[in-house]
Amino acid sequence: MLEHVSRSPLHAFGLPLQATAINDTRGVWANELPSLGYVSLRGDSKDRTFVEKVTHSLGVALPTSPCTYAGTDGAKVLWISPDEWLIVSQRDRIGSLAADLKAALQGVRSQVADNSGGYTQVLLRGRNALDVLQHTTVYDFAALEPGRVVGTTFGKSSVYAHRSGEGFCLVMRRSFADYIWRYLVRAAAPYGLGIAVVETTGHAALVVA
Amino acid sequence: MLVLFCPHCQEKREEEEFGYGGEAFRIRPASPDTADDDTWADYLFMRTNPKGWNWELWSHATGCRKFFVVKRNTATNSIAGSWTLSDGRKVYDAEGGSQ
Amino acid sequence: MTSHRIRHEKARVDFGRPISFHFDGKSYTGYAGDTLASALLANGVRMLGRSFKYGRPRGIVGAGAEEPNALTQVETGAATIPNLKATQVELYDGLTARRTTGWPALDFDLKSVSGRFSRFMPAGFYYKTFQSRALWPKFEHVIRQAAGYGSAPEEADLDSYDHSHRHAEVVVVGGGPCGLLTALNLGRAGLNVTLLDEQRELGGWLLSYPHAIIDGQPGYDWLKNIIAELRSLPRVQIFTRTSAFALHDLNLIQAVEQLQDHLPLAERSETSPRQRLHRIRASHIVLATGAIERPLVFGNNDLPGILTASALTTYLNRYGVAVGRRVVMQTSNDFAYQGACDLARAGCSVVLADTRTRPNTVWEQRAHAAGVDVRPGYAISGALGSRAVKAAKLVKISADQNSISGDGPTIECDALGSSGGLSPTVHLYCHDGGRPHWDEEKLAFVAPAMGRAATGIYCVGGITGTFGLQPALMQAHEVSDAVLAATGKASVGERRSIETDEPNAIPARRIFRVPDGKVEGHGKKAFVDFQNDVTAADIHLAVRENYRSIEHIKRYTALGFGTDQGKLSNVNGFAIAAEALGKSIPDVGTTTYRPAYSPVTFGTLAGPHEGDTFEPKRYTPMHASHVARGAVFENVGQWLRPQYFLKAGEDQDAAIRRECIAARRGVGIMDASTLGKIDLQGKDAREFLNRVYANSWTQLAPGKCRYGLMLDENGMVMDDGVTACISDEHFAMTTTTGGAARVLSWLENWHQTEWPDLDVYMTSVTDHWATAAVVGPKSREVLAKVCSDIDLSPSSFKFMDWREGTVAGVAARVFRISFSGELAFEVNVDANYGYHLWEALLAAGAEFDITPYGTDAMHLLRAEKGFIIVGQDTDGSMTPFDLDMAWAVSMKKPFSFIGKRSFARSDTAGPNRKQLVGLLTEDPSIVLAEGAQIIEAPEVNPPVAMLGHVTSSYFSPELGRSIALAVVRDGIKRRSPEGQNAGRDRLFAYFGGQTHRVQVVSPVFVDPKGERQNA
Repeated sequence: MLEHVSRSPLHAFGLPLQATAINDTRGVWANELPSLGYVSLRGDSKDRTFVEKVTHSLGVALPTSPCTYAGTDGAKVLWISPDEWLIVSQRDRIGSLAADLKAALQGVRSQVADNSGGYTQVLLRGRNALDVLQHTTVYDFAALEPGRVVGTTFGKSSVYAHRSGEGFCLVMRRSFADYIWRYLVRAAAPYGLGIAVVETTGHAALVVA
Repeated sequence: MLVLFCPHCQEKREEEEFGYGGEAFRIRPASPDTADDDTWADYLFMRTNPKGWNWELWSHATGCRKFFVVKRNTATNSIAGSWTLSDGRKVYDAEGGSQ
Repeated sequence: MTSHRIRHEKARVDFGRPISFHFDGKSYTGYAGDTLASALLANGVRMLGRSFKYGRPRGIVGAGAEEPNALTQVETGAATIPNLKATQVELYDGLTARRTTGWPALDFDLKSVSGRFSRFMPAGFYYKTFQSRALWPKFEHVIRQAAGYGSAPEEADLDSYDHSHRHAEVVVVGGGPCGLLTALNLGRAGLNVTLLDEQRELGGWLLSYPHAIIDGQPGYDWLKNIIAELRSLPRVQIFTRTSAFALHDLNLIQAVEQLQDHLPLAERSETSPRQRLHRIRASHIVLATGAIERPLVFGNNDLPGILTASALTTYLNRYGVAVGRRVVMQTSNDFAYQGACDLARAGCSVVLADTRTRPNTVWEQRAHAAGVDVRPGYAISGALGSRAVKAAKLVKISADQNSISGDGPTIECDALGSSGGLSPTVHLYCHDGGRPHWDEEKLAFVAPAMGRAATGIYCVGGITGTFGLQPALMQAHEVSDAVLAATGKASVGERRSIETDEPNAIPARRIFRVPDGKVEGHGKKAFVDFQNDVTAADIHLAVRENYRSIEHIKRYTALGFGTDQGKLSNVNGFAIAAEALGKSIPDVGTTTYRPAYSPVTFGTLAGPHEGDTFEPKRYTPMHASHVARGAVFENVGQWLRPQYFLKAGEDQDAAIRRECIAARRGVGIMDASTLGKIDLQGKDAREFLNRVYANSWTQLAPGKCRYGLMLDENGMVMDDGVTACISDEHFAMTTTTGGAARVLSWLENWHQTEWPDLDVYMTSVTDHWATAAVVGPKSREVLAKVCSDIDLSPSSFKFMDWREGTVAGVAARVFRISFSGELAFEVNVDANYGYHLWEALLAAGAEFDITPYGTDAMHLLRAEKGFIIVGQDTDGSMTPFDLDMAWAVSMKKPFSFIGKRSFARSDTAGPNRKQLVGLLTEDPSIVLAEGAQIIEAPEVNPPVAMLGHVTSSYFSPELGRSIALAVVRDGIKRRSPEGQNAGRDRLFAYFGGQTHRVQVVSPVFVDPKGERQNA
């Protein structure tokens, strides 16, 4: 639907035009993953019916261990709290994904809310990606294991973060994205910041693991 | 700054991630409309504010957004533990309400 | 170079790399590795300022963080930093610095005149003199200028600063021999170790005492080997030029790393920060912070050329600088001997007065062999000289009591060093509540070696009073073992005992103030605290004036204040106070050690929180459109919202007037994306709303909206907004822009703590929706052009209905609600399409001259309708009844909703409450100031009864006159009946020295019947 008139939260920075292939001239590479959709899912992880119906509808086992995420080619599910998840998928899939979930959860204590306009995410790569995170957040990212996702402060705002390949993925609220991006640019300055070419369509954009 | 264990995220996190919610287990009178003025005023305004062990409500504001309880010593900043609301309630009751 | 420089191979300066620098406008030369202090001393610069109170000449006393006098202003303009200690400034090419004291002129100082009248400037002088508040402002400027501190920068700082958050298994503070050995032991065991040292070079005390032999190796070789191995360990991180300045609860260390201050300005990187604040959370902290030598207190002990004995030694051994050629030293202990020997071997004549009648025989022999003239049983009772030390007066002192037992010679000298013993650097240990204890044998406040092991804090070396190199290194092994055991690692293992060439120490003499045979206060001034000009006599005076607590004595005399925080002075001050009080030193105790250990720049503390990352700035998806249309923005919480849109030739008032008229007569459009939006779903969502709002939600049908007042438990309005029923179990709530986060947390708190059984979940969708409010009589026509799948006709789409449809090709929720009182539609779409929606609506509205309007016009339009803004017209003390909004309260709901019970509290239910009303000025052109007080009479004769105040005030283009909202005591019954100008009650608004007659009216000024919004 009208993809050409859609504007991602970091649209104003004109990142796609600056993107180059990652090389070792810069310590940090980053870019926005702009074409994703988001669904906020609430429900009780101890409710087996809820967990089963979600798992069946998404085709992804709903992660119920604290601070973990799971994913397939089609969707990535981030554990936010014992009764909250953030589902990330391709934007053009999100309408049907939310509708299917809603239908599957008919009669089950739950909430399904399309939040696609409310979030974006930034991919961090490069040898100094961890250094940059240490400048921005109080969380011990050096100790963050693959497969785990944490909600933490970022400067004076907050992000959900997990490792992605040898880098990190930061999920943030739309209206804080401008601040977070500026903060990243500032923190990355001593290491050199490059704007990375990123896959914006297809399952590669979800970068599971 | 404190370090608190979030019983939902199951991790120790820095205080910056949390919001303080005042004394825990403050019970709203079951029938406010029939509660007398003293009971209602006590609920609204009075806190124990101890020097020593205190049951506190915290929220993991930039994490899981869940509320939980912490038993903290207000004089030494020692922390006896963190619990979910329901688990903490059991410990709190077993201690006789307050220590 | 001058004769002060002594080139020797052990010096840690590079004599092959001369460096030119400027001090007080003159050019000098030093060498790479010098500090500003060592280079100045090498150039014979002695006097670095005048003292705080008496204007006495002062020079360098120490060689590090303890320095009280040599405060300098380094660089100029935007790069300047005031009050840096010359002893800690690394020399670089082109460095420019100046003294911070000596106003108005170093050579002729007004205060040197005041020094002659110093008996009129006793302790507490400022308290006593400026008790009159009227006098203080007159003197403050002069006193502050003369006080001896540098100037704050006047230009914006061009450098950047950042913060770094780290976690470590072990942090070792201090890179002296103990810190290095401990770090090595722990690093070898595979622990993650962070080693912090404030100096350019690791080695600490060993850098000043290079002749030490450890296990048969020269000290420097031992250092080189251990540092090389440490650097090879992958989990050990070493930070030099990094000063740990605070230790907080639960093992949080703050340290500042100087990244560029040592580089010439031209070589500094623009992309890298100048300084970095490290905040390190550690499981274990090993404090190897060492000790600082304290001087003895004696007459004229503040003359330039008088240093601590260890500083004299450091300048010689580390920097190749002989402060003087004819040196007199006095000591109470063994520590001064090595330096005395080194100075003598370097060609200085050295007389060493040992206050002990029986010195350490090994040291005595070594001193004699080096050519030192040791004088056991002697002390220096006073120094002579005017602008620098010229001679030392020796006296014989009795062995058992602190008194003069005989005369001694006066010995000419150009440098004087004294040692009163070592004061352990216990500051960090004490920051989070640790208390040092007095060790009468060591004559020091010491920290225990096992520190507070239970919480992971350990101490090793000088900080524990273990002053000998050999026992300190053995202690480092013990502490390493303790940390290894606590982390489940194997012990360091078998180790041979460490051998050094140090003689066994013998006890120091217990002496702080050297006697001069006079009653305290009658001899030459004997300074305890140089930076604050506190003498031994001042402390005695404070005690005579009945100050008993050391904390009070500190504040009365200023002992231990300032940028050095009493590193040299505190223990002497405590001991002198103890004697004057007739108490023991541990009974007097210490003052409280607080962060920061040494000064930290504001830039470092602010770090990245400045400029465009000072605070999050939140933008709506339509922001670019607003910028393009001339919007002037205002901050609403963290959001930037258009306040008004300026067209060519307009001022703010004209713009607001144009925007309001458009909304009332044609069509306006406003960006309402910032409103908080919360999605609620669940079987009990409706019941939840009934509990958290004052009004009833039981009857609200899908497709309908309702306005609600949210109260706190005191019954006071805390937020408001419109909630739509999406389906029976699904609601869309809006909150105020500023209240969004607070309301969500409030709702979650009630749900999680009180009503977990209610089947409802709530999620913020504030950022998901972009909202455009199309407002005005023509709004339906505009919307119709871009929306074909919603029946917009008045009979089908009524006021307070909402519909789902497609606007400008995008899925939308359209709410027929109004904050202006006009026909209006609020269109919500996925925020990614917000810009598109906005532009499409503007294009569709072009033929109707659609006018974007900002928050100023929004405020005016709603005030004309008497709609409140929570936080502007309310202040946390207004009930719905105070706002005359009983229609928004349902007292019949079965559950006692939040705040309901408090309506019945005597104060809430009683008379004399302030209530919301409208005000009309008698003169329609006068716009009252918001905040103007409402009073009863035109004359202001205090005391005046304050009846209330104006909360909102505007000039209404619609009415052609001013209007205001106000809260007024019993205001509702003072109101004139609607439509009647003859006031029942006339009051006065007071502001700016004037009173204006006002009529109390209904707050609804425009369209009281609501015909327009229902159109």
